[in-house]
Amino acid sequence: MKVFFKKISFFLTAIFVVWFLVECFYRFVPNNYTEKHKNIQNNYNKTEVLIFGNSHTFYGLNPKYFDQSSYNIANISQSIYFDKLLFDRHIDGFKDLKYVVLNIEYTSLSQKDNTMEDFWRKYFYQAQMDLEVSIIPFYDIRQYSLALSRSFKNSINSINQYYKNGTITECDEFGWGNIYTYENRRLNLDELAVRTVRKHEDNSMDFEVNMQRIKSIIKKCNEKNIRIILVSMPVHKSYSEKVNHEKVKAIHSVAENLAREHSNTSYINLFYDENFLDDDFFDPDHLNNKGAEKCSEIVNEFIKQNN
Amino acid sequence: MLFNSLEYALFLPIVFLLYWFVFKNNLKSQNVFLLLASYFFYACWNWKFLVLIISSTLINYYFGRWISEKTKNAKFFLWTGIIINLVILGFFKYYNFFIENFVEIFRIFGTELNIIPLKIILPIGISFYTFQGIAYLTDIYRKDFKPSDNFLSFSIFITFFPQLVAGPIERASDLLPQINNKRIFNYNQAVTGLKLIALGLFEKIVIADNCAILVNSIYDNYTAESGSTLFFGAILFSFQIYGDFCGYSHIAIGSANLLGFNLTKNFNYPYLAQNIADFWRRWHISFSYWLRDYIYFPLGGSKKGEYKKIRNLTIVFLISGIWHGADWTFVIYGAIHALLYIIFIYYRKWTKNIRIFSSKITDTLYDFTAIATTFVILTVARVFFRAENYSESVEYLKRMFSESLFEKPNMSRFFIVLMFGFLFLEWLQKDKEHLLDLSDVRSKATRYSIYLAVLFLVFYNVGNRQDFIYFQF
Repeated sequence: MKVFFKKISFFLTAIFVVWFLVECFYRFVPNNYTEKHKNIQNNYNKTEVLIFGNSHTFYGLNPKYFDQSSYNIANISQSIYFDKLLFDRHIDGFKDLKYVVLNIEYTSLSQKDNTMEDFWRKYFYQAQMDLEVSIIPFYDIRQYSLALSRSFKNSINSINQYYKNGTITECDEFGWGNIYTYENRRLNLDELAVRTVRKHEDNSMDFEVNMQRIKSIIKKCNEKNIRIILVSMPVHKSYSEKVNHEKVKAIHSVAENLAREHSNTSYINLFYDENFLDDDFFDPDHLNNKGAEKCSEIVNEFIKQNN
Repeated sequence: MLFNSLEYALFLPIVFLLYWFVFKNNLKSQNVFLLLASYFFYACWNWKFLVLIISSTLINYYFGRWISEKTKNAKFFLWTGIIINLVILGFFKYYNFFIENFVEIFRIFGTELNIIPLKIILPIGISFYTFQGIAYLTDIYRKDFKPSDNFLSFSIFITFFPQLVAGPIERASDLLPQINNKRIFNYNQAVTGLKLIALGLFEKIVIADNCAILVNSIYDNYTAESGSTLFFGAILFSFQIYGDFCGYSHIAIGSANLLGFNLTKNFNYPYLAQNIADFWRRWHISFSYWLRDYIYFPLGGSKKGEYKKIRNLTIVFLISGIWHGADWTFVIYGAIHALLYIIFIYYRKWTKNIRIFSSKITDTLYDFTAIATTFVILTVARVFFRAENYSESVEYLKRMFSESLFEKPNMSRFFIVLMFGFLFLEWLQKDKEHLLDLSDVRSKATRYSIYLAVLFLVFYNVGNRQDFIYFQF
């Protein structure tokens, strides 16, 4: 038995060293989660517009183009579940918040909690954004080790990215995702759209849970005299043509009803907006920096008109 | 709890340490611990089905005793025991299949039946432990094995966690004596166990899971792909299912080795098989032998004339097909294997395996051709195994065998290198117990480098986790 343990300790040591180094990397190198958590608190006193949502708003709404001081707390694959957690965690900290922007996308209303999209992200939200994530069970040891929460391949890629670019943070000081540029945009949008639509299709029209979450955000905003702006972000026609149109109609109808039923809520539907051209998109469902400028100005104009 | 999960990576070492350090002095306490660990392992998937597995254990335990004690009614108890096992399996696995086909038949004759299929969750491993139970009862009836008089040992025999959910299907005569006797830690056995676990993880995570991504994409979009891409998609699926199931079996056998148990070898380089009969001696061996001993031989095997031999082979392969899943595609898959097997038997009989030219080079060429032909034929048959339904299988094959079969496949070279590189390594190691048996490599540094490389590849590829295919059976 002693020899056995002696020999496997060689392999275990190698594994432990690698684990330790990756853990240190995640704990010490700033990323989107740590930066957003730090910056949002630094902006408590001046933020007037707070942008929530997933990658569509993360890359598509740039606070720089808003007249009022704005912060983008959206993140990649951020579901309404996490929007709500972030809202509850920070809302009382803001002194002068006037608008909350929340995106309503093809995926957002029917999205289930704890899907593969959340698989590793939930641990980062808990560990680095100070959220109490109830979908993580108490016995899940990944909550104590970020290195265990991500695949080793992704960790190696992140480390590689850090050594190449000097950072793995993909947003600016206002939280806007600044890596989807016009220059790097994808050109094979039709081909990509097939895969993206397939990935986004969950064949569910069950919106109840997420609708309740949005209603709860609206209610809390109402108490604090904050206006809510629901936005369906623009997508490329190769994407909008391929999604389930019945579902799109139902989603937009839910958003319209929410706007109608709540006096502090408005809805901007840019899903089929033809002002957004091929050059405005990074891929079939994300705007690039040029498109983000255009979209941010539309939302900003809406805020100005309704102020 | 999947073998390729972090949970199992914690569960197994904890069980190992407690098993050898806390409970090692007393066989009974060690067995109680093993049973509780197995129940915990099963409950992690769905604790409600513990009732089912405990019921199955009780049924087989008592029927085994009655078969042995009440010799006058032994046959009655044997058949009752088998029928109860099959009814449980049939309800969970085949109820909806039969109902749907029943409704369909009536529809053909103009009668609409209003029977709604039930939402039934298939208990994990049910096909495996049911077959193990049936084999136990039959062995007792045949007086090949005396019934267990120790319920604890028998419960472990049914629920032993390494082989509970996807085999190998163990015989009582192999496993029960190991459970009843004190286990002593054996260094070589434990090291082999670790190697098998590493190999199994490599096969599952590096081979199968990587192939799965492309296979899923090709099958989801097969109408838009060229014949050559579909052909390589089918080949990739062959590697996926092999890596998946063989990987599972290796982890199972390796885990058992760590606890001082030896399980049946389940795979023996099946893609180096030179014909279909050879393939079934190398693929899912515990299942093939189960079918032979408990279906084929009782039906008369090959000893009651040509007609009965063909009939028996057909029955065996149809059962093998339907065992894999409640769908006509699996029945067709079984029928294709039956047909291939029967054709092969007569081909061998008529040609008498004579080689016109025989030299080292021509023999090697002959072997290579036989291996490649067998592999391609089985790969094509597997389209029925993978496709969602019969029409999709036919459409897939139609598109595959079209003019575009000769176009350049739309696939990264990485996959082709990965598959055939792996097969080449197997060919190099074909005389060894397993791929990671490096007993010929004298340099310790080289051996350790290979093990570290395997570990690195496993860890590097961990993340895009896919479930084990055979869990659904």
